[in-house]
Amino acid sequence: MSASNDGGPRGWLYERTGVDRVWDALFARKVPEAQGWVSWLYTLGSATLFVFVLQAVTGTLLAMNYVPSPDHAYDSVRYINTSVVMGHYLRGLHHWGASAMVVLVGLHMLRTYFMGAYKYPREGTWMIGVLLLVVVIGFGFTGYLLPWDQKAYWATMVGTNIAGQTPFIGPYLKKIFRGGPEMGAATMTRFYALHVLVLPAIVGALIMGHLFLVVWHGISEPPTRAADADAEKEPGR
Amino acid sequence: MKPWQEAYEKRYKAAKERGRSFFPYAVFKDALVALIVFGVLSYLAIHFGAKLEELADPTDTTYNPRPEWYFLFLFQALKAFPGSLESVAAVVLPGAAILLLIAVPFMDSGPLRHPLNRPFWTALGIFAAGGVATLTFFGLRSPLLNPTQERNPQVMAGKRLFSELNCAYCHRINGKGGKVGPDLAAVAGTRSDDWLKAHFRNPKAVSPGSVMPKLNLLPEEIDDLTAYVQSLGTGGPYSPEAPKLFAADCEVCHTMHGKGADIGPDLSHIGAARERGFIKNYIMNPANTKPDSIMPSFKGQLTGLQIEDLTRYLAHQR
Repeated sequence: MSASNDGGPRGWLYERTGVDRVWDALFARKVPEAQGWVSWLYTLGSATLFVFVLQAVTGTLLAMNYVPSPDHAYDSVRYINTSVVMGHYLRGLHHWGASAMVVLVGLHMLRTYFMGAYKYPREGTWMIGVLLLVVVIGFGFTGYLLPWDQKAYWATMVGTNIAGQTPFIGPYLKKIFRGGPEMGAATMTRFYALHVLVLPAIVGALIMGHLFLVVWHGISEPPTRAADADAEKEPGR
Repeated sequence: MKPWQEAYEKRYKAAKERGRSFFPYAVFKDALVALIVFGVLSYLAIHFGAKLEELADPTDTTYNPRPEWYFLFLFQALKAFPGSLESVAAVVLPGAAILLLIAVPFMDSGPLRHPLNRPFWTALGIFAAGGVATLTFFGLRSPLLNPTQERNPQVMAGKRLFSELNCAYCHRINGKGGKVGPDLAAVAGTRSDDWLKAHFRNPKAVSPGSVMPKLNLLPEEIDDLTAYVQSLGTGGPYSPEAPKLFAADCEVCHTMHGKGADIGPDLSHIGAARERGFIKNYIMNPANTKPDSIMPSFKGQLTGLQIEDLTRYLAHQR
């Protein structure tokens, strides 16, 4: 599909927006073919992206019924569970989606690691990927507190205590996370802001960078011993 | 660019030429996997949902904090380090692991990509992934630090009402809270259930001159609140027989103010840690509360009156 202005509405759109060229670059591009079950390992990254979008959608819908304050958070979550249309399903999806994110990110990373796909020229893609892993864990940690039930409160208590163990800056980190010496309303609004504003902005930027590099360098081909043997013959390694 | 990198680009370009269009070849597979993932998540969401435990209670010292499963390996690793080195396990090691991950492409550089051609990195990867999996497994199986407490749902409902109605604005419990009304821990047990219920229906009816407002509660709410207030106290005075009973039956295993054995926990301050109902249930049948307890059941061995007496005695140990 290339730009051909035949005067019709399609040509007009292509000339103004370049969607045809975007399509060519993103979807009509050629990728190396992987054989058999190995080819399915290449779906782990897009599956992660899919669950991320699911988390964004369910998270937005949950935020419409949630109140980030210790006085009302618990009751608003209960309200979501019992009274909001499909609320139970929605919260279940978001909860299990969080676990799925960790699982899929982990598997995606193992695939990349064992295939040596982080090697030249894809080092940058890998490094952004590691940062994405850290951000996903950050999402899990900040989201855990929000229902303000026993589990949320005490797991966050332990988590912020651990952050407080960091050499030198620990006590300050703990105070910053908690919004004061004790856990309370400030902790909750802080975690909420991190979870719905700060981390989504960071993750959005990182995902864009990650995806750009994936398309720019092309998807890595599965490693073979034959290709490695060819490479070993190259001089000047 | 090094020669092998140039050669790689050439080889990759050729592989790409031989390859297939991303759409629909890869997109189809991606969509299928996404659909399967969505199906699994929907099943989990509908059948298991997301649990919501009791409202957070900052005063509860017996709760077992359990991190989400993907943090368990870290908690399990933490146990292997003594207190002074805990920061190493908790922050320094994970931080170093992340930095190591970021640096991997620079340490394992060069053209060889097949796992068998990179034995060191392949072994390291298997070791690390296996280690995390093993720690997670043992973390899932490790027993809870505190025995799970059988909670009276009526008491929990009452406790929630107590916070919803902002009772702590006027009342304190063991010294924490407002100073307008009496300390409820001191009052509990000195009044009958009926008196408390009448009081909650209309404070002035049983306490003339009380400044407490009429709460307009439902009968069930009054029952919940009564159960909660009654659970706060020590259940009233104990008889002089109770300490003797403790010395005869309990000191074989438990310590009380420096006297007794150390097979079971020291009970010198048990009243501060456990509520009356918990203590009573535990004396009657320990296995109900803590399945692996080696303490014998005293139901049948002691009369109901003796158990109540002993409970009040223990509840007084604060």
